[in-house]
Amino acid sequence: MLKDMNWLIRKTLNNTFRSKKSWLVYIGLPIVGVLISMLLYGNTNGGVLRVGIVNMDGDQAITQDAIRFVEGLSKVEITLTDEKTLNNDIAASKLDSGLLFEQGFAASLREGKPEHLNLVSVKGAQVTVYVKSLLQSYIGNVAAIGQTAQGDQAAFDALYSEYRQHNFKLTAESVKDTSNMKAMTYQAIGFLITFMMFSSVNLTELILKEKENRTFLRLLSSPVSARTYVLSNVIVNILILLIQIVLTLFMMKTVFKIDSGIPYGQMIPILLLFALAAIGLSLLIVAFAKSSSGAGALQNLIITPTCLLSGCYFPAEIMPDSIRKISNFLPQHWLLDSVDKLQSGTAFGNLSLNFAILFAFAAAFALVAIYRFGRNNDTRLFV
Amino acid sequence: MNILEIRNLTKKFGDFVAVDNMSLSVREGEIFGFLGANGAGKSTTISMIATLLRSTKGDINLLGKSITSHGKFAKTNIGIVPQDIAIYENMTAYENVRFFAGLYGLRGALLQERTEEALEFVGLGDKHKSYPKNFSGGMKRRLNIACAIAHRPKLIIMDEPTVGIDPHSRNYILNSVKKLNEMGCTIIYTSHYMEEVEEICTRIAIVDHGKIIAEGTKEQLKAIITDTKDIWIGIKANESLSIEHLKQIPGVIAVRLEENTVKINSKGEINNLNKIVQQLIKDQIEIRSVEEQAPNLETVFLTLTGRNLRD
Repeated sequence: MLKDMNWLIRKTLNNTFRSKKSWLVYIGLPIVGVLISMLLYGNTNGGVLRVGIVNMDGDQAITQDAIRFVEGLSKVEITLTDEKTLNNDIAASKLDSGLLFEQGFAASLREGKPEHLNLVSVKGAQVTVYVKSLLQSYIGNVAAIGQTAQGDQAAFDALYSEYRQHNFKLTAESVKDTSNMKAMTYQAIGFLITFMMFSSVNLTELILKEKENRTFLRLLSSPVSARTYVLSNVIVNILILLIQIVLTLFMMKTVFKIDSGIPYGQMIPILLLFALAAIGLSLLIVAFAKSSSGAGALQNLIITPTCLLSGCYFPAEIMPDSIRKISNFLPQHWLLDSVDKLQSGTAFGNLSLNFAILFAFAAAFALVAIYRFGRNNDTRLFV
Repeated sequence: MNILEIRNLTKKFGDFVAVDNMSLSVREGEIFGFLGANGAGKSTTISMIATLLRSTKGDINLLGKSITSHGKFAKTNIGIVPQDIAIYENMTAYENVRFFAGLYGLRGALLQERTEEALEFVGLGDKHKSYPKNFSGGMKRRLNIACAIAHRPKLIIMDEPTVGIDPHSRNYILNSVKKLNEMGCTIIYTSHYMEEVEEICTRIAIVDHGKIIAEGTKEQLKAIITDTKDIWIGIKANESLSIEHLKQIPGVIAVRLEENTVKINSKGEINNLNKIVQQLIKDQIEIRSVEEQAPNLETVFLTLTGRNLRD
C-alpha cells in the first residue's frame, strides 16, 4: 500500500508542478498575501500620525489650548478642517484619525464634566490609542480644575491660568511598538487561510477530474484501491499546505521582517491543524459535488463568505456582534483566535480548547465526506 | 482450461436487473466476443469481472480463484481497455504507460522495458515523448491499449476499442489483438462492429436483457438460423420505400434499410422473392441489384434479439 501511495503521490506532485499556473497559485499567492498585508499596515509603522481637527466650539481658550496640546505631541501632524472633509480624508487614508471638538466642549470642562469630544478612525486602536491616552490625561487635569472651582468662573480662570503657566511635563520613553506587527501577522495569516482553503479544494478536485476523464476507472481496475488513492491525495494536500505554511512564515520573518512574536514551533502545528480542517472541508465539497465545475462553484460559495465572516480579510472586531457570533461556528475563527491569543501572551498549552475545536472540525468534515463517498461510489458512472 | 468462469451472476440496481443469472466460461488462449446492444448488460458484466462492481449474486472465478476473495490477484491478471479513452493529456505517451504499469508494482529497468515494449507494440514507439493532446483519435485509442497491456495481463478485456477511428488505426488495432492472442493472452472483445467480431473472435456470446441468449463459434451460431435467409436489394433511391409493406409479405421476418440497400431477413422455406420485387415495383422503387446472402453474425443477432446491434 505504501509503495502504491508513493507512486500516486509522485505522479500527482509531478503533474501539479509541471504547470506554471500551479507554482503561482500554490506558492506565489501566499507570498503575495504577505506583501498585501505589508502594504495595508506598513504605512503606519513608525511614521507621523496625521490627525484632522474640527473645531465647532468657536474661539474658546480651553478648546484652542487643547488643539495646541495635540499639535505639540511628538510625531503628530494636525490639519484643521471641517467635518465633511475630515470624513472624506479619513476614508481616503489621507488622515489617520480625526478629533471633533463639538460646541460646548469648553463649557463642559469648566463644569468638570468633559463632553462633546469625538475621536474617529477606521484603523482601530493602533492609531488612536496614543492621542486618546495623552488627550485624556490633559482633559482630565482641566476637568479636575472645573470640579474644584465648583461653577465659580473666576476661580476656574485663576486656577486654569496658573495651570497654563506650568509646562505640562511629559516624559517619553521609547518601547517597541508591536501593535503594527500584530496587525500585519493577523492579516497575513488571514490571507494564508484563504489560499490554503482554495488550494486544498483545487487539489482534492483532482479526484473529480480523474473521474471525468475516466482515468479513475483505470486506477480502480489496477491493484490500487480507492482508499489508497484518496489517501494519497490527502497526503499531497498536506505536503503542499505545509509548504505554503513554512514558506509564508519564513518570508514573513526572514524576508519581510514581520515578527509575529510566536515561535515557529507553535505557529506551524496550529496552522497544520487548520490545514487538516481545510482538507476535510475540501473532501466534503468534492464528495457532494457532481463535477469539477460544481466543486468550483461550491468552493466559491463556501470559502469566500466564511473567510469574510471569520475576519480573514479585516479584523473581526469591526464587525457587529451578531456576525462575530456566527464566526464561532467556523474553523477559520478558531485559528485566528489562537494566533491572537498566542500574540497576547497566552501559553500554547492553554489553547487546548481551540486545538480540540479545530481537530473536531477536521474530523467531522472528513467523516461526513467518507460516508458520502461510500454512498455515491457507483462505478456505473465511469464505465 | 477455463481462464474465466462466471456462474449465476446477477446484478440489480434497485428493481432493475442489469445482469440476470448469467453463466459463461472463457477458455485460455481464445478471443471471446461479447455481443449485445446498448443496455444489454455487457459493461456491467465487464465491471464485475474487473472487480469495479460487486455482484448481487453469483461467482466469478479467474484462473480458478474467486475474484471476491482474491481481488488483488484478479486485478493483477486483468488488463482493461475501457470504451472511453482513459489517459492523461498532460503526460507524454511514455509517462502515461509508465504510470499505469507502475500501479501493478513494476519498477526500475523492468518497468522501462515493459513501457517501451507496450508503446512499440501499438506502433507509438517513435511518439513516446509526444503528448496525447497532439494525437489523432486512432493514436489515442492505441495508447489506451498500451496502458492496459504493459503489465502483461493474462486476460485483456477490450470494450469497444475501435469506436470512432480511421480504417488504418482500426486495422492496426485488430492486428494487435490477434498478435496479443498469439503471444498467449486471452481476450474478451466487445464491439458494435459485427464484421470485427466475425474476423477475430474464436467464440462469441450474445447478451440480451442481461442474459446469454446464444454462445458458440461463428459457425455454431450461424447454424442456429439455417431456417432463414438474407435478401439484399440495391435500390436507386429510398424516398418512397415502405418497410411496412415489405414486412406484410408472407415469410418476411425483418426489414432494414442501410443507405440504398434493403436488407430483408426471411424464412428459408418460403419462396417470396417475386412478391418482394413486385412490392418494390409497386412502390415505384427502381431496383439495381438482388442478392441472396449466406447467413452472417448480424443476421444471427437480429434473429435472436429482434433488434440491430446498434439499436
